Amino acid sequence: MNPCYYACYIVYKVIVYDIIFYPPVYQFLIIPGLITAIIIAIFIIWFERKAAAYVQMRYGPWEIAPKIGGAIQLLADLTRYAMQEIITPQTVDTLQYLLAPIVMVVLALLPLEAVPLTSVKPYFPIPSGYSLLVAVAFTTLSPLFITMMGWASNNKFSITGSVRESFMITSYELISVLGLLTAAAMTRSYDLVKIVNLQMSGKWLGLINPIALFVVFIAVLMSTSGFPFEIPESESELVAGPFTEYSGLLYGLNMGGAYIRRWVFSILITLVFLGGWAPYRPTPGVITGYFVPSLIVSLKAVVIMGIMSFLRSVYGRYRLDQALGIAWEILIPLALLAFGIGLTEAYFGII
Amino acid sequence: MEAGTISSGSGIHLPGMEIAKASKNRYEVMIGPAHPGSGHMRIFVEVDGDIMVKVDPDIGFVHRTMEKLAEGREWIQNIPLFERIAILDACNITLPYVRAVEKLLGIEAPERARYLRTLLCEINRVASHLYGMGIFGVFLGHSTLYMWGFGDREVFIDLAERLTGARLTHTYPVFGGVRRDIPDDFPEDARKATRYMRKRLNEYAKIFLNNPNIRSRLENVGVLTKNQAAELGLVGPNIRASGIRYDVRLNEPYEAYGDVDFEIPVFEEGDSLARAWARVEEVRQSLNIIDQVVTWLEKHPRENFMHEKFWKTAPKLYKDVYEGKISYSPKYRIKLMPIFASLKVPPGKSFARVEAGRGEIVYYVESNGDIFPYRVRVVSPSFRNVIAFKYVMPGHRLMDLPAIYGSFDYFPPAFDR
Amino acid sequence: MPAKVSQKKNPKRNPLGKVFAGNIGALAVGLKYFFDPNRITLLYPHEYIKLNKGYRGFIVLIKEKCISCSSCARICPAAAMRMLSVKVYNEKLKKYMIKKYPVINYNRCIFCGLCVDVCPTEALYHVPYHDIVYENMNDMILSLEDFQKEPENIEFKEGIPVKYYFDERRGLVKTPYMEELEKRNEKEEKNQKVEGEGEKGAG
Repeated sequence: MNPCYYACYIVYKVIVYDIIFYPPVYQFLIIPGLITAIIIAIFIIWFERKAAAYVQMRYGPWEIAPKIGGAIQLLADLTRYAMQEIITPQTVDTLQYLLAPIVMVVLALLPLEAVPLTSVKPYFPIPSGYSLLVAVAFTTLSPLFITMMGWASNNKFSITGSVRESFMITSYELISVLGLLTAAAMTRSYDLVKIVNLQMSGKWLGLINPIALFVVFIAVLMSTSGFPFEIPESESELVAGPFTEYSGLLYGLNMGGAYIRRWVFSILITLVFLGGWAPYRPTPGVITGYFVPSLIVSLKAVVIMGIMSFLRSVYGRYRLDQALGIAWEILIPLALLAFGIGLTEAYFGII
Repeated sequence: MEAGTISSGSGIHLPGMEIAKASKNRYEVMIGPAHPGSGHMRIFVEVDGDIMVKVDPDIGFVHRTMEKLAEGREWIQNIPLFERIAILDACNITLPYVRAVEKLLGIEAPERARYLRTLLCEINRVASHLYGMGIFGVFLGHSTLYMWGFGDREVFIDLAERLTGARLTHTYPVFGGVRRDIPDDFPEDARKATRYMRKRLNEYAKIFLNNPNIRSRLENVGVLTKNQAAELGLVGPNIRASGIRYDVRLNEPYEAYGDVDFEIPVFEEGDSLARAWARVEEVRQSLNIIDQVVTWLEKHPRENFMHEKFWKTAPKLYKDVYEGKISYSPKYRIKLMPIFASLKVPPGKSFARVEAGRGEIVYYVESNGDIFPYRVRVVSPSFRNVIAFKYVMPGHRLMDLPAIYGSFDYFPPAFDR
Repeated sequence: MPAKVSQKKNPKRNPLGKVFAGNIGALAVGLKYFFDPNRITLLYPHEYIKLNKGYRGFIVLIKEKCISCSSCARICPAAAMRMLSVKVYNEKLKKYMIKKYPVINYNRCIFCGLCVDVCPTEALYHVPYHDIVYENMNDMILSLEDFQKEPENIEFKEGIPVKYYFDERRGLVKTPYMEELEKRNEKEEKNQKVEGEGEKGAG
């Protein structure tokens, strides 16, 4: 064989099999990692504006590309954020101010390193014995940096916003952890691959135990500033909450960061409650064993994000103590009830 | 004048300034003029933890010296000037001025003109309440109500445009009558609009007022008791939601309000939810009035639209214009006599008041016998309602400020004039 | 019959049932409009509203009917109309006379229409459009010749005229105004035919 072709072949194999489809890199950067998260954030923000416009008697994004409904409007917005100047005011703590958004986005994507997206063995990022527990633990890391953003900004509205966010953290974390670990109670293991394999026959955990799905859905809304719990960055009361002093690409990261966190939670909800990559059975091989299941999981997660975006046009904003009241008085008992239902169903052998 | 906090090292010390040391737990937040949720005014808020302790509204950012400007313009030139106090209900705001000057002139508008003025007053009242509800929605984060309020208001602005020729700056009542009569296809359009709006009010109730999210934000928030409302001297749907039965259309019927059949809703709880419901019910009653007035106007012949003093000596051209015989001008336009350009009003003083969308508005007009007024004094409804902030808001949480602010339906240009 | 007072109360709150029903009601209304939207936005400048004849737009003078009484300049609230003295040759008396005609300053005009209403010979009228663009402020003070011409509107050549009709179910419904569109198409075809024949005749 021609040595030039042979070298190209080796380079191709190294790049594709050892770099792109190497599970930690693939899951953090490609699907469902950074690139997919950015594309989905662009699509979902467009969908949110369009859905709100349909309900509100107007057109939404339309002018740039009328034939496809203005779908590339968000690319224009993203380009504008990328080219705007990042202004650092003099009175902020510079290091924390610049690092907090970046660390928040990186830590937001970390749970994706811990979830398996297929049942074929060579494509697990970490040994999948305790993957559910590790992923849920990783989701609790990133909200702290919103508090740091508000403190570093040295601005009355930012501090009010970040204090509100820290109040919310104390309430939604317990609910989301309890709700997601209901799956462990029902299937007697922390192994996400086993959880999805048990749902292959059509018995999705979300249909058997709908209270758990409802509770986790509301907890995700509270965690990522979705209406009706859009409290830290309430636009008409505090100018933009903790994100007031940011401009340029950091502001784009902040706004996208909330959607990236929502995306990661949606992936977890899909794997746990909506059957993951069922009804497709992965066979060994890169395309059929890794690429296709990850696409199916992503599509189901997009549907969940779409439902969360639609709620923007129906609800207003709760007051802070009312949101905490709902969390502690209504949702935690419901989460415990869901846990109990899960245990009973596991005892009677329903799943 | 007292200064709240002062940081060590600040040098400015004006004479007469008291320096008070701020207490340790108080945190001062200024919801300032450059804020997405404050309108053109500033609110000083002192917060203790999350509870507001002292609230001070700071007004005067949109002051345009209208009362002084009025002394340099002729009588009819003041009508477009006073409209800009609250351009949303243009007819309601200029009507008391026209009535006060008519009292000085010693004339009274004839019957058809009274019904026409009532028609535009009610259309403007509906538009103003929809604007108020829209702004209320945006303060609470509910952008759908904002868009629906403004979108449905478009229906009524379109009706007003068919009647007067301009969407918002009507300049419709003049001394002795009105400026135009209703077109031929107006009654059916008005009926379609009122039927549409009645259906929409039910949907507003479903998505906003009965939505548990919004309802828990509004119930028992900003309670204004009956005694407090009477002591502070507030006006408008705000006090009708607290149980006081006061409405100028009830106590002193003007124009055609003595002849139409309508109700005045009075609530008793006095919280923000009651104020929102009071406005919705008032819109419903306004739709009834519009239906009745349009039926009357359709049945009766087109005569008596302008007082005889200003129409008896009109040449034949004016009557031709009214009947539409001139090709380039629209039908049913009432021409003004050239005497309006330099009208001299006999000397005297007079009062007039009218129920605008936001409350009662009072005019005091004094004349010297000149072509300019000597003094015009306006007491606008939003000016009388500002003081409520100081007494209703303390004791509530900081996040209740938009709920209370929006429920009082402020309009800063109205109280700054 | 004077008005009556009707005492009303806030709707009662029943904790369990109303919360559930309230949420379902709000979501149902939202979903109804999501699948059957009712959009009233005007996509200006691709479309424009064909306003009806009574609209108070820009003002045009008919010079032959003006009798120089200056009522319009006296009644203007914004001092936008001024009278301009012009030397005119009078045929009957065989000498030059000074007549006054109004000129307008659109920087100040508020389109209240009082001048049109007060003119005793109906020498002023409104045109039913308002979206004219001037390039600098001096252009907005019109001369006497410009005041007699209707201002030129580019929208009439390029946009689609629409009209909003009242409808019971949907409020305002936007429909293209076919008669105006057809008139414009016919005029364009006639212009093209005339140009074509001109070229053929010349060539």
